[in-house]
Amino acid sequence: MSATYLEAINAALTEEMRRDPSVFLIGEDIGVFGGAFGATKGLLDEFGADRVIDSPLAEGIIVSAAIGAAMAGLRPVPEIQFVDFITPAMDAITQQAAKLRYRSGGTQTCPITLRVCYGGGTGGGLYHSQTNTTWFAHEPGLIVVAPATVSDAKGMLKASIRQDDPVIYFEHKKLYRWPAIKEDLPAGDDLLADLFHCAIRRPGKDATIVTYGFMLQLALQAAEQLAEENGADIEVIDLRVLNPIDHDTILESVSRTGRLCIVQEDHRTLGIGSEISATVAEQAFDCLDAPIVRVSAPDVPAIPAAEPLEQFYMPNVAKIVDALHRVLQY
Amino acid sequence: MATKVKEPVAAAAASTNHGSANSDNPLISNEKLKQLYSTMLQCRLLEERARILKKQARFKGNYYAAVGQEATAVGATVNLRSEDTIAPSHRDFISNFIKGVPLTAMFSQLYGRSTSPDKGRSAPAHCGYAPLNIITPSSTIAAQLNIGTGIALANQMKKNDNVVVAFSGEGSTSLGFWHEALNFAGVRNLPIVYICQNNLWAESVSVKLQTKVDDISLKAIGYGFPGITVDGNDVVAVYRVAQEAIERARSGGGPTLIEAKTYRWYGHSEIDPAKYRTAEEVEEWKAKDPIAAMERYLSGKKLFTPDWKQQITDEFTKELDAAIDFAEKAPQPEPIECLDHLYSFDIRDRELNRKTYSPKF
Repeated sequence: MSATYLEAINAALTEEMRRDPSVFLIGEDIGVFGGAFGATKGLLDEFGADRVIDSPLAEGIIVSAAIGAAMAGLRPVPEIQFVDFITPAMDAITQQAAKLRYRSGGTQTCPITLRVCYGGGTGGGLYHSQTNTTWFAHEPGLIVVAPATVSDAKGMLKASIRQDDPVIYFEHKKLYRWPAIKEDLPAGDDLLADLFHCAIRRPGKDATIVTYGFMLQLALQAAEQLAEENGADIEVIDLRVLNPIDHDTILESVSRTGRLCIVQEDHRTLGIGSEISATVAEQAFDCLDAPIVRVSAPDVPAIPAAEPLEQFYMPNVAKIVDALHRVLQY
Repeated sequence: MATKVKEPVAAAAASTNHGSANSDNPLISNEKLKQLYSTMLQCRLLEERARILKKQARFKGNYYAAVGQEATAVGATVNLRSEDTIAPSHRDFISNFIKGVPLTAMFSQLYGRSTSPDKGRSAPAHCGYAPLNIITPSSTIAAQLNIGTGIALANQMKKNDNVVVAFSGEGSTSLGFWHEALNFAGVRNLPIVYICQNNLWAESVSVKLQTKVDDISLKAIGYGFPGITVDGNDVVAVYRVAQEAIERARSGGGPTLIEAKTYRWYGHSEIDPAKYRTAEEVEEWKAKDPIAAMERYLSGKKLFTPDWKQQITDEFTKELDAAIDFAEKAPQPEPIECLDHLYSFDIRDRELNRKTYSPKF
């Protein structure tokens, strides 16, 4: 049966909870309600209220309680309903989860998998649309992942839960039910995904796009459009893991194509694109045939609600095609 | 609901001990009373030595002494099992000693040596110790309460009877985090004891500027579990109250907030002359020295002699000397170890980006 991204998340949680009794969920509206988007639907019935905890409305304790429980040997999967609401938990995430292993000299750890819903393009406005992935990718000590495919949604969630480090798992709300990406998924451990490397989703030789999350869909469409337009052969790399970054795969691609376009839904300044650009400039300067181009959201505080404003804000296929033209025609 | 007991606990403990000085009290044995005293004395000796070492610049960084507050630390933690967790604040260095952390590890921590529990990473006073379930502290106030609350959640889910003792100061009660922790513990009926060491000053800010209530224990009412205020300089009182709370937590009775009213003799840290307090206030509290008070109490029960005190002092001073000698001779961490213990896998770029990795920064 062909599964959606949302169903893949639900399946991963179900399988991991069946496999390991130390896995439990905690978050707002995840129990009786089954999650704001339905990601945890049915789990309360199967696993009970002790393992599917409807938390108080307090992101700080959702994450902190998970950190403590993880230190004590459990495998918590806390949920932040929208990344826009994550700020009350920032001390817990950046000062505690990210630093615990380091500050204890490797003697104390907290293997949590924090599921975070993010992303714009749904008219959700300033506080239901943000893509604050950079905040967390900037934090050594956290593994930050952003699956872009249904297979990764399941496989990376399962792998994250088994990982001995804190993982921030970014799931894009537009991908939840995106029909074009539905996949047939095997059950069980066949789908335990690699948590460390980029994936080349479309091989090519003329230019490299590096992107992640929902933007992968737009990048693939842009690459197809260019192929039809003028036969350009664009390589599309799905970053998958935002921290630590698999630089070697990106550098190898750029060494072959000589041209790089980075697409991110997060805004521009000091974003993931900035880091990749700097690394490519440092390590592969001689390989570049054109300046690196970034497609990103503008540096405004958050994504506006009104449709024209939101469309201006969001990267789209036309903006990526335009950027590729610039990279190819330099 | 919240109960409020002020001060008579010590009197009650004392009165129940009036029988025979030679026979053990059913609630607190004579041996336990002596242990409470000797442990406080050792904590005092340890911290006064740490302060001297800091003033001599034998170690870098800062130190946050709890001198004057020993009764609270000892009374609350002296009976914990190794499986129980302590969630310490920055001023709870001595809780490590009370729970049994080797002095060599603790002084290695002060000196930032490779033999320290965290291999030279945290600040000197931020000592944690995984083998005895002591969380390595951070400096963000009240964070340890939240993590400790999560450990209590895990203990409850695992259906064991281990408890968590989480320390905080009165200043931390102004933070949202403090309240998120207590609220959650109340909702889930978690096996945790929150000890608020109200020493009247959060660095330079008076408790009057932190909260409008006189007794911080009142805040427990809002979370639906018992809150109790105790004389934090009366080790017997703290011990009695803490034992009741710990027993309640162990047996599924849920959390307790204990406010221990006490006082730090010195500044917030070793670089704080504490000029915001009056000399009269400091002297008033020094007259309530928990160690001297316990000496009087034990003397009344014929359980104390100056010779015994000297013996404890001499023996423990030798232990301190040996531990300091160990720490001073212990190796420093290698510079490159700065990159270690980031993830469970080796440092990220050394493993992940083998082709382009460079250790130069």
